[in-house]
Amino acid sequence: MSAHSKTNSTDTPASHSFWNSFIQTFKDVFGDKGVLLMLIIAPIIYGFFYPWPYSSEVVNHVPVGIIDHDNSNLSRTLVRYASASPYLNTERFINEQAAKEAIWSDKIAGYMVIPAGLEEQVQSGEQAHVSVLGNGGYFILNKNVQLGFSQAVGTVSAGIKVKKSIAKGAYAPTAAQNTQAVPLRIMPLYNQTEGYGAYVVPAVSVIILQQTLLMATAMLIGTWYEQRRHSTSVRGWLGRIGALSSLSFIVGCFYYGWAFELHHYPRGQNMLGTLLFLALFCPTVATLGCVLGLWFRQRERSMQILIFISLPIFFLSGYPWPADQLPQVLQVIRWLVPTTPAINTSVQLNQMGASVSQVAIGFYALAGLWLLYFVLLLFLRKRIPQRKAYL
Amino acid sequence: MHLTKLSEAFLRSAAYERRFLAKNHWDFSMVVWIPLATVLLIWWIFSQTQITDLPIGVIDQDNSAVANTAVRYLEASPTLTVRQLYYSQADAEAAILQRDIYAVVIIPEDFSRNILSSQPAPLTLQVNAQYGTHSGIIQAGVQAVASTLSAGVEIKRLVKQGVAPSQAMTAYAPISVQRISLFNAATNYQQFLASTVIPALLHILAMVIGATTIGRELRDKNIGRWYRFIDTEKPNLTLSKTSKTTSSLSTKQDSSNNKTSSNAKMPNSVSLSVLVFGLLGKYFWPILAYSLWSALILWLATSNQNINIMSLMAVYAGFLCLMVLSFWLGAIFTLNSFSLRMGLSTTGFISAPSYAFAGVTFPYIAISDSAQYWSNALPLTHYLKLHIAQLQMQAPIAISLPIVYGLMLAAIIALVLAALLTKRALAHPERWGAR
Repeated sequence: MSAHSKTNSTDTPASHSFWNSFIQTFKDVFGDKGVLLMLIIAPIIYGFFYPWPYSSEVVNHVPVGIIDHDNSNLSRTLVRYASASPYLNTERFINEQAAKEAIWSDKIAGYMVIPAGLEEQVQSGEQAHVSVLGNGGYFILNKNVQLGFSQAVGTVSAGIKVKKSIAKGAYAPTAAQNTQAVPLRIMPLYNQTEGYGAYVVPAVSVIILQQTLLMATAMLIGTWYEQRRHSTSVRGWLGRIGALSSLSFIVGCFYYGWAFELHHYPRGQNMLGTLLFLALFCPTVATLGCVLGLWFRQRERSMQILIFISLPIFFLSGYPWPADQLPQVLQVIRWLVPTTPAINTSVQLNQMGASVSQVAIGFYALAGLWLLYFVLLLFLRKRIPQRKAYL
Repeated sequence: MHLTKLSEAFLRSAAYERRFLAKNHWDFSMVVWIPLATVLLIWWIFSQTQITDLPIGVIDQDNSAVANTAVRYLEASPTLTVRQLYYSQADAEAAILQRDIYAVVIIPEDFSRNILSSQPAPLTLQVNAQYGTHSGIIQAGVQAVASTLSAGVEIKRLVKQGVAPSQAMTAYAPISVQRISLFNAATNYQQFLASTVIPALLHILAMVIGATTIGRELRDKNIGRWYRFIDTEKPNLTLSKTSKTTSSLSTKQDSSNNKTSSNAKMPNSVSLSVLVFGLLGKYFWPILAYSLWSALILWLATSNQNINIMSLMAVYAGFLCLMVLSFWLGAIFTLNSFSLRMGLSTTGFISAPSYAFAGVTFPYIAISDSAQYWSNALPLTHYLKLHIAQLQMQAPIAISLPIVYGLMLAAIIALVLAALLTKRALAHPERWGAR
């Protein structure tokens, strides 16, 4: 293959003007079902597929156990309040061993133990306590278990306190008010329902857009390389980048304009800013795709190498895991990937409604990355035709 | 004689693959460097195992001693750090939008007055709930501060009313809650995320290798040559003339330029057992390498824990089965479509989001019913259940053994299926070379 193709590597010069190259790229994308699948169809399918597990959004009615060793009026009240909690779905267990076995087999996420003699202790004014044991192996479940039980116990406990105060002669409404001296009012901003999908999907969408565009571009360039159609002028490269990124821009509009709406995620807080973001993000990723295509130089290689990186770059983006908790070196390296500025910028604009000047750093970073990738592309472009082709 | 033929198929196939891997650095990297780097990278990302010092802001409209105490308590909370005091709502909102801070605590102007007059004195927490991880930790941190403040205020009040200090705590909360996190009590993210994300990534990588190892033979129309190379059956036992070219070709299979048309001809009797052993040989190096990476991650995940050796063995067995199953699944998707590209697309589509469906970060019980079917169909879901039950909850092995057996059975069935599909692929040389 190598000897054969080396001879005609120069005799099929690709179209050199911007528009020729732009149109030729369009033709090639629509004539190649592999590239088309990656660039257009895959992100559209993912727009439905990825949010699928999160469609219930909020975790409610977590199955939990209750072990009542007291069997008093008070303990029955506690059980009643716990089972009324929207966070919990309670079930009685005879002893801790039975409850533990249920945790091991994932039937319940935690349990509450009401010790014997609880009512007596409370009536005689002694400090009494119940234990809530949550499964620390699953963070969200554990949070729900603790919250649900704490609220139930807190309500019952407050009721006892009010009764005691009134018994001591306090005026009933004052006693009731005093249950919590410094209550906390929590106002969730932006993702007001605190849905899990609404939190994770807008960020993952940026990764989906990046990964599909990267793989499609590198696949196309790799295919052209195999056919020795890869070399073109600087304007030609710009035409290719333009064509690929405008297709990706349209897919991006599908996400921001329709997919988020369909799943009822907060969206469109700054639509103009979002469009501006896409207009910078897509060419940046397409340029990186061209660089990778010239590096991989084989049609399927981009998928082989790039499929797995979506999870690591997500954790490096600073979105699911605070960036300043990362090791110092990674805090620097992570800026080499477009998703690092892109995820936060996109979420700040589209979900939170920041102004473009408030996310200026993200825009500068994307522009800087575009420039870096383009310089790399020019470097590879000069270097590759002279190299011995394809091993 | 049959056995030597099978072991010959295994050895020849492994040798064939070794030569390929030695010459193709990208494919070699997928087996050695990339998974090694991935394991270490993810472990490194979560090397600070707890989230601390999330930046928040405070708007203090009260400026009293109690309000100062509140700010001090917030600052003292290990999960929070007060980045700045803001004087207007607009400034604080701008800081949230720029992600300088993730929340703002508002102390209202009548805060100290309410406390002194025994009225409830609420604090307001505005938190950026779009950043779910940050938001959850900040809410828990500020809630703890508010509870501490409440307790302090009320106990002081009770003491003033003449309750003995020793009794005040009981009077404040007649029933207290003892919160216990069973397992992973320190909310260690390395244990929670890194130790489950790495198996997910190795699963993806193994499926990709599964797809490419057989897929490139299909793409390069070499799959027939590979079979003739591993099948050492005497040429005179088969009838047709292709077997003559077979034996002559197999001797010079290493001359890579040789892509004559006779190469594309299929061998006309294909033995399933030879294929099974041939596939095992072809995937021998990746299986060997990935059993090392599996051991590495289990060693990392358990090095600071006391894990029963039997549990560890069960998890390792489950992990190996998951890896082997992943190789065959990648091969099946490729062989089924006759195309490396399609095989990789399917692999990516199924494996890349499988962690989201596995029920670790977003709990399985909250996953919508229809998506639970999909989740159950993914091998990763089952492996991670085994992983968490044994390594984090330290459950009795008997609870998790069915998962190990299940994965083992799935790996064996997948191997047979992959061999059957290879046989089918060998019978259709006209479909080789698809891109």
